[in-house]
Amino acid sequence: MKPSEENTMINLAARRADRDTGRETGEDTLRLIAQLPAPEGIEDRVRAELRAAPRRARVLSWPAALRSDSPWMRSAAAAAIVFVVAGGGWGVYARVQQPQLARVIVMPPRVAAPGSFSSAAAIRTPNTLNGPVVANPVTVKPVTVKPVTETTPAQVVQKPVKRVQPGTAAAQPVAAAAK
Amino acid sequence: MSTSQAVFAGWMEIPNSAVNQDARSQTEQTAAEEATLVALVSQYAGTLYRVAFSVLRNPADAEDAVQEAFLRVLRHRDTLDEVRDRRVWLIRIVWNIVLDRKRRAKTRPETDDVTELARVLPHSGLSAEEIASAAQHHAHVLACVDQLPAKERQVLMLSAFEELSSVEIATVLDISESSVRSRLFRARNLMAGLLKHERQ
Repeated sequence: MKPSEENTMINLAARRADRDTGRETGEDTLRLIAQLPAPEGIEDRVRAELRAAPRRARVLSWPAALRSDSPWMRSAAAAAIVFVVAGGGWGVYARVQQPQLARVIVMPPRVAAPGSFSSAAAIRTPNTLNGPVVANPVTVKPVTVKPVTETTPAQVVQKPVKRVQPGTAAAQPVAAAAK
Repeated sequence: MSTSQAVFAGWMEIPNSAVNQDARSQTEQTAAEEATLVALVSQYAGTLYRVAFSVLRNPADAEDAVQEAFLRVLRHRDTLDEVRDRRVWLIRIVWNIVLDRKRRAKTRPETDDVTELARVLPHSGLSAEEIASAAQHHAHVLACVDQLPAKERQVLMLSAFEELSSVEIATVLDISESSVRSRLFRARNLMAGLLKHERQ
């Protein structure tokens, strides 16, 4: 058998095997669908669609009336651009307010009084606000006015005066001291 | 004219000859691009239609997809020169379009209908009974294909196009060639199993 004939046989066998596999795996159906002819006139319809499609938009294209080659038009356009840019910049600059500087309270330097300790290595204490000085609350005692009543002699309690007799024991110490 | 004005005008000045030359070359370029596009339409519209139809299975939708693909090409015609294989590039564009459309529209494909399949698919030299039987078989196969996982299904469908090699399928799907082979192997096994199961 010639090599070409052998190749043909191999190809045929491969195709047959492929066809059998295709039947088993359903690929013959997919192949049929894949080989369907395109409808007639599809190219013309696509071309017509492409012709009707909007052309590419130009970025910043000038209208035909303004597309003159005079340098004055260009100068005016350039001046307008410069004016707009400068004006915009100035507008921003004018509106931005500079922040106010923070208030700094300068403390007077401590001058040591003559004869007192120096202020070297003194730790600065914050200048706190003096609080309100509240005086000690005066507690007013309610005054109770007693009604003035005359004391009757009968009410006065008088201690009975002891009468000491000269011969009694109460008079002895005095006698001893006298001795 | 003052000195500053003269400097300013000189700075702004663009020579007319340069402008005209640019415009002329641009017109020529546009004409060349349009001619290339027309040639692409004539050459590949049929192939793109078949690819679109294999997924959408609806003639009108497939044609719409082809038109959309060429409109995309028109939008990106500047990059036409950079494309190495225009056929595969176009197939990839239309493939993405049809997958996107199928994802969005969950409508039933027209060719899932047996009678529609019998009308669409070629049946030369077959009796009416055979045509009906073949259409039923094809409808059944397509239903099984739809049951496959997306990755395997896509490879199987693209492999049906004899004009696409495994390398080209890999380019369209943006995967490696070995992945194409392994997915195709899995898809065939799954399909065989599904069809056998249905027969039993």
